[in-house]
Amino acid sequence: MLPILQSEWFKLRKAKIVSVLFTGPLAGFLLGFTIHGDVPEGVNPWHILLLFMNVIYALLFLPLMTGVLAGLICRYEHQAGGWKQLLTLPVTRGKVFTGKYIILMALVLFIQLLYLGAVYGVGWAKGFTEPFPLEIVWKSIFGGWIASFPLVALQLWMSILFKNFAAPLAVNAVFTLPAILAVQSERFGPYYPWGQPFLMMYIGGGDGVFFVPWEQLLLVVGGSFLVFFLGGYIYFQRKAV
Amino acid sequence: MMGPLLRTEFLKIKRKGFWLLTFLGPFGVVALQMVNYGVRKDYLFQQSDDRWAYYLHNVHDFTPLALVLGIVILTSLMASIENETNAWKQLMSLPVSKYSVYLSKFTVLSFFLLAASFLLMVFTLLYGIFLDLGPDIPYADLARYSFYPFFASLPVLALQLWAAVIFRNQGIPVALGVFGVILTYSSYSLPDWLIWKWPTLMNGWNEPVLNVLWGLLAGCALYVFGMIDFARRDVK
Repeated sequence: MLPILQSEWFKLRKAKIVSVLFTGPLAGFLLGFTIHGDVPEGVNPWHILLLFMNVIYALLFLPLMTGVLAGLICRYEHQAGGWKQLLTLPVTRGKVFTGKYIILMALVLFIQLLYLGAVYGVGWAKGFTEPFPLEIVWKSIFGGWIASFPLVALQLWMSILFKNFAAPLAVNAVFTLPAILAVQSERFGPYYPWGQPFLMMYIGGGDGVFFVPWEQLLLVVGGSFLVFFLGGYIYFQRKAV
Repeated sequence: MMGPLLRTEFLKIKRKGFWLLTFLGPFGVVALQMVNYGVRKDYLFQQSDDRWAYYLHNVHDFTPLALVLGIVILTSLMASIENETNAWKQLMSLPVSKYSVYLSKFTVLSFFLLAASFLLMVFTLLYGIFLDLGPDIPYADLARYSFYPFFASLPVLALQLWAAVIFRNQGIPVALGVFGVILTYSSYSLPDWLIWKWPTLMNGWNEPVLNVLWGLLAGCALYVFGMIDFARRDVK
């Protein structure tokens, strides 16, 4: 498994991945400065900042970015018979798929940490003196990461299926845009997989380990992860290269 | 020269999903309101006396996002025809100028986006009538909300087309596009000079037609810049 991860990482390094990784935190950083709300007395300004920045970041950026990263990780293979070359090596298709997935999840975690840095940077530049709410932030950052598990699995599936970037992005957009409406609904929001990154990063949520109840996490995030991951895994096993 | 070039472009995009996307964009925007009104119609009706205006406003909440995303998807798809098969060399070795190739791609994209705007108007009108929002249908506003965003988004189209044709790695124009979508979504708090804000038809003067004018001017400027840059580059 380790050599597969190494080779995937090696291929990605030359794919201009760094500039792509930094777009989101950069956008978050810039947008953080445009928030000009008055902070009410007694409220930690970090909370206000997180509330505003999380909306843009978790609702649109994170779900859409999973698609771009998934496209990048399959880009080499789609060019000039790359799938054939890769799969003639002594590797199993299952391991290749899992390896690509692990690398993607590591990149998403990295983006989440960059975003954490962006939040901290905005607060620092604005001169917040209140203590940084570390516990809440970690809950938010890790929650968003876990909520992206099923989304990444679906996008990896779509990126293996389609040769170009545009078609997976279209699939992604079709599911991501309705999340803007879905998360406003108390009845449907909890069941919509593309709304979960927002709900799990929303710092006004519940008091548990994460901001959403365990049942919702296991059922919606876990369930859709299983469906998408197995779907992609089985599709890749049968794909004609 | 443009006639044959346009015909070849239309031939190349057959069965690539352009028509499907052109239908899906406006349909999705109205379908979101079908869900919205389906779930909480009574609540939404209480929000405003002018139900048509409120409904158009709700539809328009999603139009700019769908439009900017649609531009990113269509431009990338358009460029991938040549990118995927290394066909730029073949295309350029024909007796055609690079300017007219670029123009024909831009024209085809504009055509699909205009078709999408028209469909948006039709779908919005049909669902509005179905909702029974009142006898006075504001046709002028309906047309404005459907077509103004297209003209206001011409600079984004010009920029994305340029990025899509010059980068072999489509991850870069797509990432740029995602960045733009985020700016469009948060445009309420952004300055007026950002092109990604224009499709929302918001500006400091509350004059949507200004965005159309800026869009046409900046769209032409960015288009010419992109075309010249494309023509000066080596064919890969």
